[in-house]
Amino acid sequence: MNGERNFYIWFRQGQLVAAADRLDGQGLLAMIHRRGWLSTRAATRITEVCAVDQPAGLCLKSQGILDAEQLKLLFRSQVLQQICNLFTIQEGQFQFNSKAELPNSEMTGLSAPAKEVTLAGLRALQDWSILRSKLPEPTSGLVSTVNHGGQLRLSQLEAQVWEFTKGTVSLEAIAQQLQISTEKIQQVAFRLIVVGLAEEVPLIVEPPMSSFDMEPEFLLDQPVYVNAIGQSDNQDQVSQSFLQNLVSFLKGKA
Amino acid sequence: MEIMRLVVTGPVGAGKSTFIRTVSEIEVVDTDRSATDETAELKKKTTVAFDFGRLQFGPETALHLYGTPGQSRFDFMWDILIRQAHAYVLLVAAHRPHEFRYARRIASFMNQRRNIPMIMGVTHVDSPEAWDPENIAIALGYLDPQTRPPIINVNANEEASVAQAIIALVQHSMQSCPT
Repeated sequence: MNGERNFYIWFRQGQLVAAADRLDGQGLLAMIHRRGWLSTRAATRITEVCAVDQPAGLCLKSQGILDAEQLKLLFRSQVLQQICNLFTIQEGQFQFNSKAELPNSEMTGLSAPAKEVTLAGLRALQDWSILRSKLPEPTSGLVSTVNHGGQLRLSQLEAQVWEFTKGTVSLEAIAQQLQISTEKIQQVAFRLIVVGLAEEVPLIVEPPMSSFDMEPEFLLDQPVYVNAIGQSDNQDQVSQSFLQNLVSFLKGKA
Repeated sequence: MEIMRLVVTGPVGAGKSTFIRTVSEIEVVDTDRSATDETAELKKKTTVAFDFGRLQFGPETALHLYGTPGQSRFDFMWDILIRQAHAYVLLVAAHRPHEFRYARRIASFMNQRRNIPMIMGVTHVDSPEAWDPENIAIALGYLDPQTRPPIINVNANEEASVAQAIIALVQHSMQSCPT
């Protein structure tokens, strides 16, 4: 952040209820005004007579000024705009205030899970330059971290990439298969990772055969090396008495 | 001989080699250096590099410590080490947040291959730039305190601190070890 810009996001019970880049409580009314639905002055007057704890959006709806679709549009626009802005910031500082009061004048009355908003915000992001270094490697694969992606509504492309979350196919190979640029697939993978649906997993880079030829001879004395090549996972377990003795021994050093 | 194999992994500069050297009773075998001591040609071609240390604590019992290769690419050696390991410690330098993403990739790589006990060892905690271990855990994808691995502060230069970290890992292993 450049030190002069602040962004505010309000949550209630884990759900995102409003977002703004100002604290004067005029953000939502300004948006309504910009759309030509109601002047700021008129909206302010109306919301002044609403119940103290009633979100401005619901108040205007109850007065017949706005309908449900308009509220949805406002909420989507208000939240997406702010979240998208956050993804373009080079550096920033995050502060969580659990005692902050909810800004009724900024609230439409609608809410959304943070993950859903994050996903939507990243889909809308045009300039990925700030996040480029955070994208998963083209040579990495993806593994799913949940049983199914049904908790969130995925786009068609996200769903297609989701099909590859078995940790066996690299992002560049997915890009080739889907005939989409690798960068685009990296962005989709990033979205799946950020919302907790998948995790980046590096795939093994196969060594050139000459690497084996270059093995220093003493390495062959290492049991792990001799035993491991071409074999499956380690099956031998150490005993509880071994572990207890080891702990006792280490406690003498600790 | 009963041997427990621990893998010490983490980004470059997290303290893997120091960790092993500090506690090993033998001079640590640094395969990278040995390889590079050969001809320049060998140095250019070799891809094998890991540290090996040992701690024998009985006539027939020993702890082997393997440090993962220093390079950022994940090659066959990583696979070999993790498949043979009984447990591993992921070292993360608290003052190098730009490495957290790589540390997360390491954990992901390890966890995909083996479900073995692991702990997170946080080094350089005294640095003014150091992140809080709780926040490091979140950055590494461990959002739930109930399910994340044990986290312990480590000074890789101090034998007592390294021993304490290994104790934590061994005790964590004991919880999942068949009796």
